[in-house]
Amino acid sequence: MLAPAPYAWCLLIGVCCSLMGCGAAQPGNNRDPLEGMNRRVFWFNTKVDDYVLEPVAKGWDTIAPDRVQKSLSNFFQNLRFPIVAGNNLLQGKFRRSASDVGRFMVNTTVGFLGFFDPASVWGLEQHNEDFGQTLGYWGVPPGPYLVLPFVGPSDPRDAVGLAADSFSIVYAYFIPFYYTFAATGTDIINNRALVLREVRQLKEASFDYYVAVRNAYTQRRAALVSDQNEKSKQEQEDLYQLEDAQ
Amino acid sequence: MSRKRWQLPSRSLVAVALAACMWGGLTRPAPAAEGPTAVVQATADAVVAVLADKNLSVEQRRHKVEDIVYAHFDFETLSRLVLARNWKDLSPEQQKTFVEEFKRHLSVTYGKNVETYNNEKAVVTGDRAEAQNDWTVKTKVIRPNADDILMDYRLRKEGTDWRVIDVTIEGVSLVANFRAQFQEIISRDGVTKLIDLLREKNAKGESLKS
Repeated sequence: MLAPAPYAWCLLIGVCCSLMGCGAAQPGNNRDPLEGMNRRVFWFNTKVDDYVLEPVAKGWDTIAPDRVQKSLSNFFQNLRFPIVAGNNLLQGKFRRSASDVGRFMVNTTVGFLGFFDPASVWGLEQHNEDFGQTLGYWGVPPGPYLVLPFVGPSDPRDAVGLAADSFSIVYAYFIPFYYTFAATGTDIINNRALVLREVRQLKEASFDYYVAVRNAYTQRRAALVSDQNEKSKQEQEDLYQLEDAQ
Repeated sequence: MSRKRWQLPSRSLVAVALAACMWGGLTRPAPAAEGPTAVVQATADAVVAVLADKNLSVEQRRHKVEDIVYAHFDFETLSRLVLARNWKDLSPEQQKTFVEEFKRHLSVTYGKNVETYNNEKAVVTGDRAEAQNDWTVKTKVIRPNADDILMDYRLRKEGTDWRVIDVTIEGVSLVANFRAQFQEIISRDGVTKLIDLLREKNAKGESLKS
């Protein structure tokens, strides 16, 4: 029954390690007090990506047509339905949650086990929800930026969210753990293949890749928590007010 | 019978829309004839038309897209926002160099997308007035065989023209992202180093291209 948990445990261990590294961290950016340790883990993750994940994803990209990659991504996305619908429910977004249920039913049947996505065409859009966002929605602050080994950019709130969500991967309860492993691996490689160009571009465009990723992650999560709503007056002023209006 | 049932909501919808327009017109200056939304839609359409033109070489397409984008982006404001309080520490000459090099950097890195264009289309999904008298136009890039991408453009009016001062991709603002990176480099190594770095990167990128 612990089948779905393996990567949740990896995660928890990761979080503990990270928090223990707390004392050793150098003072730095106020949103990133653990920068010293984070940079080292980030470096490690980048190497894993450079030498394992990206090459494998590239190989997959050359043999699998875009349509196959998209279908596979649809399939795994469809299986995440309990996470999306559940977290919408936990945030009191009942309409969205109901739409997620409808979406799952349509795509699982008409969409042939979720490989196709007719629901989007019928107005049942894909929502992006997870437990980290639910915590954020109810006012839990993200806490310090945290880079987790193998997992990547995170923070204590989202790490807890990820661990909690892993229990909602329903199929893992019904199949042997090595199938879950294989499925998770396939999902990760396929997703990596879908963003080959975007990641390369971000690397090329950035001057400090670590800072670029940290900032992008922070902004992206804040946008997801607020469901892409507009920025506050203060944020807008900080970002868009010219220093000295001539 | 069913006709009548359908007319009612649509009529009230028109009334609400009209009221909203009037209210908007009363509380804030209405966008000029060539409003921000029209500017974004026209720019996107023009870019897509060039990208889809198979008679042009990659190089030609790149230049044409560059011309269209340059005409509608305000790189000086963009640069000033990216540098924030550091802008004042630059000499006028450094400021000019920075704007040019930063513009070149964006063009070199994002210009590569011209080669990989794969029938993506951009549609405007909404817009709203913002603080500082800016305007945000929300768009969605629709990609066959890939997820849609949400792209928001923030525009500011200069004279009579609305020009783009920031692009936010899936919630990530370009200005905020570059500002975070540049702040780190400036506080560590100074402004001169940043400009050198920009130059270096551009020279490398250009040589990689040809």
